[in-house]
Amino acid sequence: MTYSSFFVSEFLVLWRRKQDVFNALLFFIIVVALFPIGINSSPDFLAPAAAGIVWCAAVLAILMAVESIFKEDYLDGSLEQLVVSGLSLPLLILLKVAAQWLVVVLPLLVIIPLLSEMLYLPSSGFWVLIMTLIVGTPSLFFIGVIGAALTVSIKQGAMLVMLLILPFYLPVIIFSTLAVKATQSGLPYSGLLAMLLAMSLLSLVISPFMTAIVVKASVN
Amino acid sequence: MQSSASLTISDLWIERGERDLCKGLSFSVQPGEVVRILGENGAGKSSLLKIIAGVLSPLEGKILYSGEDVTLDRTSLQQDAIYLGHSVGVKGLLTVAENLRWYCPDISISILYSVLTQLDLIDLVDVLVKKLSAGQARRVALARLWLTKKTLWLLDEPFASLDVGGVALLEERIQQHVLLGGLVILTTHQDLMSITPHDVVLLS
Repeated sequence: MTYSSFFVSEFLVLWRRKQDVFNALLFFIIVVALFPIGINSSPDFLAPAAAGIVWCAAVLAILMAVESIFKEDYLDGSLEQLVVSGLSLPLLILLKVAAQWLVVVLPLLVIIPLLSEMLYLPSSGFWVLIMTLIVGTPSLFFIGVIGAALTVSIKQGAMLVMLLILPFYLPVIIFSTLAVKATQSGLPYSGLLAMLLAMSLLSLVISPFMTAIVVKASVN
Repeated sequence: MQSSASLTISDLWIERGERDLCKGLSFSVQPGEVVRILGENGAGKSSLLKIIAGVLSPLEGKILYSGEDVTLDRTSLQQDAIYLGHSVGVKGLLTVAENLRWYCPDISISILYSVLTQLDLIDLVDVLVKKLSAGQARRVALARLWLTKKTLWLLDEPFASLDVGGVALLEERIQQHVLLGGLVILTTHQDLMSITPHDVVLLS
């Protein structure tokens, strides 16, 4: 096993499970679409709330995708093979998260122009929203995999993962929606984006190592 | 393949769920040797293999590989070893060929196909592994023994769900490997036909 062959096989598996990714995307669209229908469809309500709506839906979709990231590998024994491969486990986990992030977040970004139009998000806010998603979602994945690894050996772990990691998602949601709101009211937003980037970088440094430790504890 | 590799286990203490599986276990494996681990169900055979492979850690004791202490960092042993556990580690959503390419990316097509022919898997090259039977999936996992040049083989119940032909093939392959100076540690409840192993008994 090499790092590149692992990365390629991860993409192959994700491609074969494309309906799961599609489900997460569909879920995201449905949640966003329900807000104008369920609460208020006037621009006065939707324009300020748009970033919050998109981010909440994105967090839920990402939670769905991340929660089961190790499940299949655990059941068929390939997670054990990663541990004994002699390659660096944190690096393998980093590659796995990177593959998952690309496959989940890119379709999300593609669909967002349509949804932000539906939510009357002004174009200045739109670009900031895209930036917060690119900069902020990596930290959601990195935090999420720790929880997924912790609960991989438990049969009904999905709810537990959410309880474990949702509190750590709150700062990311708060800073992202604040950044979009700041632009909408003409305030500088770069500081908030920098905070998001800092959180992503911090979790990038910590999470692969913590996840590796947890995976080792979970496989036996 | 290094022919001078050797594995020494000294004074190993394995604990699983508050229960001592073995204490003060010592043995060594020399090049060209097959070690069979015997013991009742639950005696700790799989745990012992997992500890050597680096999935678990021993409570006490030392593991030396080629004279190097690998108890704390098993990397150098892992880079020279194949571990096959109860769940075989082939992905159901990849085909037979893709699974083997994942483990052995530098292998040439012709070698891959000749090994798959030997193992009777050649007609299934492009079939998803989840559609195969348990025995066929195990053959896919075992194909790594033909495709890689690792010295130390740690095989946990390698004969499980194999048919008679498969068992004979695997025994022949183990013998070839041992003749070239390889090290094999396996657990099995089956009698070995052509191999005379060195037995290590775990008492419970």
